[in-house]
Amino acid sequence: MAHGLDDVETGQAAALPRRATDRILAFVNDLVVKASSAALVAAGFVLTYSVIVRYFLKISTDWQDETSVFLIIGAVFLSSAAVQAMRGHVAIETIVGLLPPRVNRVRQILVDVASLAFCAFFAWKSWTLLHEAWVDGYHSGSTWGPPLWIPYSLMTIGMTLLSIQILLQVIDETRRGSHPR
Amino acid sequence: MSLLSIGLLYGGATLFVMFLGMPIAFALGAVATLFMIIFMPSGSVDTIAQNVYEEMASITLLSIPLFILKGAAIGRSPAGKDLYGALHAWMHWIPGGLGIANVFACALFAAMAGSSPATCSAIGSAGIPEMRKHGYSPGFASGIIAAGGTLGILLPPSITMILYAVAAEQSLGRLFLAAIGPALLLVGLFAGYAMWKFRREFQAALVQYKLAGVHSELLRVDTLTVYDKFALLPRVLPFVILLTGVMVALYGGYATPSETAGLGAVLALALIAAIYSVWTPRELEPILIATLRESTMLMLIIGMSLLYSYVMSYLHISQSTAQWIVSLELSRWVLLAAILLMVVVLGFFLPPVSIILMTAPIILPPLKAAGFDLIWFGVIMTIIMEMGLIHPPVGLNIFVIKNIAPDIPLRDVVWGVMPFVALMMFAVLVLCIFPEIATWFPDAIMGAK
Repeated sequence: MAHGLDDVETGQAAALPRRATDRILAFVNDLVVKASSAALVAAGFVLTYSVIVRYFLKISTDWQDETSVFLIIGAVFLSSAAVQAMRGHVAIETIVGLLPPRVNRVRQILVDVASLAFCAFFAWKSWTLLHEAWVDGYHSGSTWGPPLWIPYSLMTIGMTLLSIQILLQVIDETRRGSHPR
Repeated sequence: MSLLSIGLLYGGATLFVMFLGMPIAFALGAVATLFMIIFMPSGSVDTIAQNVYEEMASITLLSIPLFILKGAAIGRSPAGKDLYGALHAWMHWIPGGLGIANVFACALFAAMAGSSPATCSAIGSAGIPEMRKHGYSPGFASGIIAAGGTLGILLPPSITMILYAVAAEQSLGRLFLAAIGPALLLVGLFAGYAMWKFRREFQAALVQYKLAGVHSELLRVDTLTVYDKFALLPRVLPFVILLTGVMVALYGGYATPSETAGLGAVLALALIAAIYSVWTPRELEPILIATLRESTMLMLIIGMSLLYSYVMSYLHISQSTAQWIVSLELSRWVLLAAILLMVVVLGFFLPPVSIILMTAPIILPPLKAAGFDLIWFGVIMTIIMEMGLIHPPVGLNIFVIKNIAPDIPLRDVVWGVMPFVALMMFAVLVLCIFPEIATWFPDAIMGAK
């Protein structure tokens, strides 16, 4: 189930006239996916480098694990909006198939509004966290001790993009409701 | 409000939003946040972003996307087909050898790719047509592939096991090793069944032939030349070497499990570049996008599940439920059976990752109190969750099979899979009677706990 990703509903959304906001977000998502892909591969190389350096050159490693954490956590949060655009965040769809289409559309809007509320709240708390980390100069507790605003900012931008993405999807859903095709 | 009502409300609210079809990650996060606002001291909700970050910022957890990358790189290359072809060439002389080759190919591929659906589609898209061409019944052919694919979440490096290790605070290296014995047991059972079933179908075909002169493809004997046997080896061996090399790096103490993930991903990308010349950004893009899509979905569920269990534990829901289970003083095996039944039922709705993270704080303390080895239990729980991949109502692998062989009726696939579900149950029973099958190997390599 964890791997059950279908391109549901992306086709429907594409049938509507696309607004400038949609196009901008799609462009941003595309950039972000490229950057995230690069970050993931980079993390793989950093960890490989870490093995080589420690076992063949006998140099102790300090920054590799944390750098990989930052790269991967950044990739995950940043691409969450792009994944949401494909409706790639899995849900239990047992009852969805049983509902009549009209009820199902209302359900979809409700679910999206609830998701939006949560993600927007999370994004807001990430902004305050980022602000604190920046102002008070938080550093990680390791010996290397990089500043924490780096990963926090990636998480914050990611959750903000995700909220915007869901907001656009909610708007699409309600527009489709008022203009039955 | 009493603890019991809060607990019931927490569970009820979660079920409600999940069944409404809210994405699992957001549903878990939203319920946890709501309960933080209502029942926890004011101000605690201000730190949710920090909570989630700190729970997720573990290199062990974050190695998961790298394992997925390695799996996607191998899974989307023709490696599966070649691996399958090579095993077929070497094993076709055994009665039922084609079926057995499929089981072995699934096991090997699963160990390299670490994903059940990827294994099903990679080996199945070559294996199912081949088996049907040789007269295997469609149900039998799909059963072999669906069941063989489930080995993906048991054989190391398994994502499910990484999460279990984190949730149960057990050694990941030990857990990986503990899964090897049971995985071999399952491979043996599957292969044995494939041979037996082949003989039955073969006998039936022979009788048909003698009585009515109906010729079945089952009766035809393939002859493969020595060239056939060796032609594919140069393409397959590097992947097998990659697999063993990464394991040696891990257990020889050269690399931590997360470094193994990075090393595996880089080597897999290098191998598909060298062997199948997949290296341009345009060719790599589908691999990377598939990886990101799956990793992001999974990691957000993981992050939010961790927040969910943090709230559950802060409100003492998990501890009280665990204490309550202990106070029932069930006999060991009744307790184990009850817990496994719960895992099966949850498996109808939830992916293994959420089952582990949400239930671990509740079920592990009673199991520990009852004297069960938690490494052993991790293996048992994984096999039970594997069964969920091939039995209805979710049975993800069944749908993968449906995708690659659309003309086989769902009924046939489901019935073809059922004997394998029974074999897996049998394996769980065997492991309960002989826990050493799981515990012996890690003890031998890493020393007794």
